[in-house]
Amino acid sequence: MKQRAVWSAVLVAGLALTGCGSATGSGSSSGGSDKKLVVWDWKSGEASSAQYVEKAKADFAKKHKDVEVEFVAQPFDQYYTLLGAAIQSGKGPDVILFNGGGQIRDRVDSLQPLDEYVGEDRQRLAGWEAFAKGGKTYAAPVTLQGHPIYYNKALYEKAGLDPAKPATTWAEFIANCGTITKATGAKCFALGNKEGYGIQFFLSAMASGVLTPQEYDNWIAGKRDWNSPNVKRLFELWKETGTAKLNNDGANSTAMFNDAFAVFQSGKAAHIIGLMSDIGHWKDFNEFVTPEKLGVMTAPTVTSGATPSLPYDGGIGYAVAKWTKDPKVAADLVRSLTSTDALKAFYANAGAITADTTIDVSASGPAVTTIVGALKTGKPAPHVALSSKSLDLMGRLSQQLLSGSTSVDEVVKQMAASDTAG
Amino acid sequence: MTIGKSLPSVRSASAGRAGGVPPSAPPPRDRAVSRRAAGGRRAEQLAPFVLVAPAVLILVLLRLWPLLLGVNFSFTGDGDRDGAMVGFANYVDLLHDPLFQQALRNVGLLVLLLPVAVAIPGLLATFIYLRVPGHRFYRSVYFFPAVLSPVIVGAIFNLLLSFDGPVNVVLSSVGIGPVDWLGDPDVAMFAVVGVHVWATFGMALVVFLAGFATLDAALLDAARVDGASLAQVIWHVIIPSLSRTIQFVFVTTMIGMLTSMFGLLYVMTSGGPEGSTYLPEYYIWIQQGQMNRPALASAASTVLFVIMLVVGLLQLKLLRRAGRED
Repeated sequence: MKQRAVWSAVLVAGLALTGCGSATGSGSSSGGSDKKLVVWDWKSGEASSAQYVEKAKADFAKKHKDVEVEFVAQPFDQYYTLLGAAIQSGKGPDVILFNGGGQIRDRVDSLQPLDEYVGEDRQRLAGWEAFAKGGKTYAAPVTLQGHPIYYNKALYEKAGLDPAKPATTWAEFIANCGTITKATGAKCFALGNKEGYGIQFFLSAMASGVLTPQEYDNWIAGKRDWNSPNVKRLFELWKETGTAKLNNDGANSTAMFNDAFAVFQSGKAAHIIGLMSDIGHWKDFNEFVTPEKLGVMTAPTVTSGATPSLPYDGGIGYAVAKWTKDPKVAADLVRSLTSTDALKAFYANAGAITADTTIDVSASGPAVTTIVGALKTGKPAPHVALSSKSLDLMGRLSQQLLSGSTSVDEVVKQMAASDTAG
Repeated sequence: MTIGKSLPSVRSASAGRAGGVPPSAPPPRDRAVSRRAAGGRRAEQLAPFVLVAPAVLILVLLRLWPLLLGVNFSFTGDGDRDGAMVGFANYVDLLHDPLFQQALRNVGLLVLLLPVAVAIPGLLATFIYLRVPGHRFYRSVYFFPAVLSPVIVGAIFNLLLSFDGPVNVVLSSVGIGPVDWLGDPDVAMFAVVGVHVWATFGMALVVFLAGFATLDAALLDAARVDGASLAQVIWHVIIPSLSRTIQFVFVTTMIGMLTSMFGLLYVMTSGGPEGSTYLPEYYIWIQQGQMNRPALASAASTVLFVIMLVVGLLQLKLLRRAGRED
């Protein structure tokens, strides 16, 4: 029995440690040869992406007839674990799909800078910053991801408010929420903060209404003053949504995906800070909140001198691994994957705001038109600029703020420490 | 241990056979034959090694070697310092990470809750053994959750325990305010452990029932004749007789709690709220998969391994001593 304990322990540790080894075991799918490129993503397996992949492949075949392309769809919840193992072994795929921000920046050591290959696409595509580090670009954007504040026009009407004129200041916003809750029983915000995503969305959506443009730009550039009154104000607003009972009950145990979205869709909350692409966005909501009932508003102004703007970044983008045989060919595949034709298919089928700003979106309803119209003045989302470690910490601290077990001062202190360390 | 014991016995048997004159062995005629005989002797001496080689190789290659690699990996750096030896830097990081401290505190909590997790299947098995009315029905019902995957169990209890879920509706109907089972950091860990015990006690129950099968019924009858109460029967007859089974359940339950709650945590709380339901294995996964720090994750794995070893051995020692006293 002692032996059993020992062996069980050895087995457990062995499994935990060899997890890396077994993950790379999908031999054929990693490491392309001269005539073959292997692409890793979590999209190509979905029916809604089939046409996109097809178009991109056709475009690439025009340039390189003799090179075979293999798409390997990995499960998203294990994607970065599998990828980490592949990177560790130095024998991963040639072209890799990444989320913008921390996920790609943490791994640029294993990626090929693409600046010399994608010059022609610079103007046509938006959202490059999310895939850049140290002045170099490591991936070409496919979709844009951002955090519009969606609202339910039907609830506004029911409460006697003008759905065409959402609040422009925080005070007005709170007053409107009060009216809506009184008239319809619906909460102000649908919030899911179980995984700590709620604060990320909130921070990004509200920041442009609180920070001055200069502060905002400094934040994105990495010069973040956590002790400034406006940064503290952001976290105070977050705390206020809890104390003033603006959120749905049990926000800390509600999953953002997809319980919080369900709260909004079912009309139990008037607003939600959602996404632009992939999930939790206009197309998803349209199932219950029809396109004409779905509004998008800019962030309410909290401090004078702030200019509200849409927070968005490159959402997902394709990068080229350092170990690929011919970076030029791999970069050409990336260019095909971000060609206008391919992206048009992606927008139409998967319901994403793509990085290509030349695509016409007027058919999808007013919310989408508002979003795309706001892209020009939009700025990178503040939470994307933070490291994964700081985001993880912020998630936990935000839960403490909601439950009242910590203070804003303590939160900014810990965030400042984590931000400078990371 | 099995290998260690079997080696000498096999060798002595083969040596004995080689030393004596086997009835079928041909008498030595010339050098070639004797050389062949010597070769055969050597083959016979080597045979036991060859026979145990597959088992040893599997153990060494698939268990010990990866374990050593992992421990070695935990002394290297992450990110910029990838591959470079950093000594104990990862372990220092771990000790200073409040999240890992929380994970270790939760391990402590699990150890404290262990007797409860063992007592529940033990008691229920006792009732089944003592043939309470409907014991056949209970026997199959109790085992049922053990066949469900943790993800399904987690999803079911996510619904039941959500803020506006049925459990809170029932509670509010009897005048108890809603409890945010998975959103309150003081409650969430107990909720998850409770669900884990619910989901896994069936297996321990079966082990206990198997243990009861070896119980000497005459002892029970004797105790009854002597007028022992139910509590006395359990305390003085059943528990001492089942001490080996209890030992086994203790160790397997502890291992189960430390290593197979990942699915539940992942589905039910994602380590939250406020990091209150982190366990080392969840921490390992987060560091490796989300934070891109595989070497730190290796260090955490090593710590978890050592904890398992120490806790397991301590439990065995304690229980063995208790068993001897009886």
